[in-house]
Amino acid sequence: MSRSKVPRLASVCGARPTGSGFTQYLGALGLSALRVRSGATYHCGHGARSENHPGPDIPLPTAQLAVSDHAVAAGAPAHDAEAALRFKGVVRRYGKHLALDHLDFSVARGETLALLGPNGAGKSTTMSLLLGLLRPNEGTVEVLGTTPHNAVAQGRVGAMLQTGSGSGLPPGVKVSEALALVRRLYRRPADFDTTVERAGIGALLCRQTNRLSGGEAQRVRFALAIAGDPELVFLDEPTVAMDVDGRRTFWKMMRQFGAEGRTIVFATHHLEEADQIADRVVVINHGQVVADGPGATLKAAVAARHLRFVVPEPDPARYDRLEGVTDVEVRGTGVTLVSLDADATLRDLVRSNLAFSDLEVTGACLEDAFVALTACGRKLPPEVDA
Amino acid sequence: MSALFAFIRFELVRLLRSWKFLAITIGFPVVFYMLFLGEHTAGAVVDGTVTWRVYLMVSMCTFGVVVAALNAGGSRLAGERSTGWARQLRVTPMPAWSYVVTKVTASMLVVLPVLVLVEVVGYTFGGVRLGIGEWFALTALMWVTALPFAVLGVFVGFMVHAETAYPVVTALMFILGYFGGLFNPVSQMPHALQSAAQALPSFHHASLALGFLSGQTLGAAHWLVLIGYTVVLGLALMWKHRVEESRGLA
Repeated sequence: MSRSKVPRLASVCGARPTGSGFTQYLGALGLSALRVRSGATYHCGHGARSENHPGPDIPLPTAQLAVSDHAVAAGAPAHDAEAALRFKGVVRRYGKHLALDHLDFSVARGETLALLGPNGAGKSTTMSLLLGLLRPNEGTVEVLGTTPHNAVAQGRVGAMLQTGSGSGLPPGVKVSEALALVRRLYRRPADFDTTVERAGIGALLCRQTNRLSGGEAQRVRFALAIAGDPELVFLDEPTVAMDVDGRRTFWKMMRQFGAEGRTIVFATHHLEEADQIADRVVVINHGQVVADGPGATLKAAVAARHLRFVVPEPDPARYDRLEGVTDVEVRGTGVTLVSLDADATLRDLVRSNLAFSDLEVTGACLEDAFVALTACGRKLPPEVDA
Repeated sequence: MSALFAFIRFELVRLLRSWKFLAITIGFPVVFYMLFLGEHTAGAVVDGTVTWRVYLMVSMCTFGVVVAALNAGGSRLAGERSTGWARQLRVTPMPAWSYVVTKVTASMLVVLPVLVLVEVVGYTFGGVRLGIGEWFALTALMWVTALPFAVLGVFVGFMVHAETAYPVVTALMFILGYFGGLFNPVSQMPHALQSAAQALPSFHHASLALGFLSGQTLGAAHWLVLIGYTVVLGLALMWKHRVEESRGLA
């Protein structure tokens, strides 16, 4: 897909006169709607939305919906035991900067969850809180039914953190020695050979830790993360230094590991990754959960289509009323409609007897769409948010 | 406990395998000893107590302690904190204090062979002759009193960034060595520097051992300063560690 889609999608949000930012937009796309909605389609374009939207604040923000959903289920004690981790109203500040703004979500045991969000959304802060490396300013974080610190101390949690430019490995030892040490730090570690096999580092065992490529180092760090045979694994952007092949292999291993009934939480800003690997995707932006649902739904939701055509005298108000349209852009005689249901829009367009020529329908690239979506909340002026 | 021992062993292996570390910690005190010994001056009496060869051996033992502790703790620790290895350890069941304890212990353990090596060089090249009991007592004394330097090294490793670690460590080595009177007896220094030396642990570390060898003093003041340094640096280290922890950096 061409890059030119990005500004257009961004304009979907930018043009919105009211609403509560990105939250509402994703909600409108049907993400939050998974949990609450009644069948009405919410649009974030100018015209259609005001007709179909029950009110400016109704099914949103999503974060609360997701939690209320859980709260219902949590009434049964069995569910409580099954939650691998739980964030309740978590606030974390760095000085004046609000990194996490009343974050609420939980993950069931055995689930593979992707934390999706742009850089600076609060993913790494979330990870640090889950590992007890940071404490929340407000709210509670619960991991495997106890505090993050206890869960880590009991050896039930493994993690692969972001290391910036460093390898995250101790210099001056062989890979096998680093792995042997980390195993010793756990009371009930996984079998050495099993860990080597799971992480695919058999060929790297005799190498010095400071002579590994970025992707190799990541695999070794994955081995260290799972060396203790953890029930719960946190991976903070695990494939960041890998090439395409490396990523594929890595996620294959990851999926196998998850298939053994373990809970996996990983942070990423790759929508594709989140969609393909995770059972569920939680989208974070500005320290809040803005969407929560299966990856496929997220993917479908952001897979908006663009319909372009030419008309001698465009009339934006009329296009807005077409089925599925979320945004209209008119430039001279060229019209671009953003639609969540291109088929319906097209049918409606033909039925409406509007004159048009040179029709073109294109899909929005997922990555681009996601970048555009998350950029929206930032671009929106604060007074519109209120 | 076995995890702690495994970690200490791991650290020692890493230290002893590092050529850079070994070259600096062994090279500096040994080469300086040979360089400064001088055939004519070796027998000269320093401050009316010990001979130059003995003074220099003890001084280079102290310098070896300074170099080993600052390099094992300071620059290496700062380096591995920047690579994210220290953080990776934080998410294992190993308690956070184990990291600090291990670092200090590993520094103490590499200091011992450095002391012995300088003494061997003092015996063979410098012609230092002591009773067997004196050798053991001297080694034990200088080793036990190396603790403030081991703590200092780890503290520096926590305070500085990887890029600034080398200049800071080098500067500290120079200050503790030169101003601590390890290359020139303090009595031969200008008056202002003499009082400055009194504030440095390296001066007291060497003076305590020299006092023991000359049988002149109990060295209560030296003990006091060295213990004071250990306590203050230990508290500073704990404080720094706690701050890092609360920010999720440690």
